[in-house]
Amino acid sequence: MSAADLPSMLPDLLPRLWAFALRISRDQHDAEDLVQRACLRALERSHQLKPDTSPLSWMFSIVHSTWINELRARNVRNRTSMEWDDSFLETVADPAARNPETDVMNRQVVSAVEQLPEAQRAVMLLVAVEGLSYHEAAEVLDVPIGTVMSRLSRARQAVGARFLTREDRKVKTAAKSKDAAS
Amino acid sequence: MNIDDTLLMAYVDNALSPDERQCVEKKLDGSAEAASHVALLRASRLPYQQAFAHQKLPPVPENLKRKIEQMVRAFASNDETIEQYGGGIAVPMQGRCTPRVAPAWLAVAFVAGAFGWAGLLRLGPGATPDIMSASASLESQGASPWVRAAANYQQLYTRDTLAHLDPDLRLSERIVDEIRRDDGIAVSIPDLSSIGLEFKRVQRLRFHDKPLVQIVYLPKSGGSPVALCVTKEAKPDHAIAAQDIDDMDVVTWRQAQQGYALIGKTDGMDLNMLGKQLSEGGGEQLY
Repeated sequence: MSAADLPSMLPDLLPRLWAFALRISRDQHDAEDLVQRACLRALERSHQLKPDTSPLSWMFSIVHSTWINELRARNVRNRTSMEWDDSFLETVADPAARNPETDVMNRQVVSAVEQLPEAQRAVMLLVAVEGLSYHEAAEVLDVPIGTVMSRLSRARQAVGARFLTREDRKVKTAAKSKDAAS
Repeated sequence: MNIDDTLLMAYVDNALSPDERQCVEKKLDGSAEAASHVALLRASRLPYQQAFAHQKLPPVPENLKRKIEQMVRAFASNDETIEQYGGGIAVPMQGRCTPRVAPAWLAVAFVAGAFGWAGLLRLGPGATPDIMSASASLESQGASPWVRAAANYQQLYTRDTLAHLDPDLRLSERIVDEIRRDDGIAVSIPDLSSIGLEFKRVQRLRFHDKPLVQIVYLPKSGGSPVALCVTKEAKPDHAIAAQDIDDMDVVTWRQAQQGYALIGKTDGMDLNMLGKQLSEGGGEQLY
């Protein structure tokens, strides 16, 4: 992969850049603007793309930094207080899914990640969803790898708490049902 | 071995050697807090990729696809490309800088009178005779490579590219300082707000490894961005000249070993008149 290859690769990367931009910005118009600006910046700086760097993670890095700059420009300090707009991003029932429980689980997983604070959500999207290594995620977010690990741990504990609590609730409900039946 | 987040995640993800696992388990026996973290991390072992693969997202907008394809074509087909370096995208600013004394290169006469800013708003064909003659002369010579590259570059900018960008005056001031100090280009940022052009950002670019400055404005009342580009050009002065490069209107001139190009799609703005006034000097400066 060389800088000269980037223009030919961008159209193929576009769907994943679009999904990533939607998930971090939570707004279609923002995502469209974000992807467009990120692609322009990438083409302008394609000479900075190193041969040993994944073009996808490099593009994620530009999308993310562009978004952070945009947030700063808007003086938005905490996007986590925003309500998630379920009207445009939703996990729908998969007609091909044989098991409805799987579908419910998918929705719950997506919801749990979406409700994380911004910094933790970005790490989860990159590592758990996009499959980047810790090192790549650190490069994308321009933070030390220790910060990635720390954010990931906190994110996973927060997500785990939702599922653990749900399991506990089920156990308690089942126990209560047993008590009532007996 | 200290038990930290990294180790606990590796433990629940079965990424430790048997010896390491044994060591962690010994530590867990004595720490209720660590055991609690492990329980939470175990509960977080979920099918994330599968879940997000089923998330319904809006498709990539056709408009976005077209814009990206247009950008890709422009960069792929143009060997004379421009590269960016130096200051990045603007970040927020708390205030507006006080206009300063203009350097000699761009002492633009932005005053009311025969060439007041109001006169720049196009009410009809705005080119003056001297512009037309210069234009014919320039077109016969062909545009300079850097002007053509700058015009191609500017074609990538739409109103949407800049509409949400708040000008970062502090960053812009720093970039202008770098341009003067490191690039050796005597540049100032003209304040064109009185004619409805809002300053958006200044960028340090390179063309053929030579510094090139791009100052971008956005018309407040709508329309496409307008850019003033400046580079070093060790050639004799020439008067302003107008030409079209693809879809872009371009007005160029050269003064004091510096080449200038005013570039835009002139919907409502007379670039010829604006270029003439910029080349004649005077006016307010942001930096």
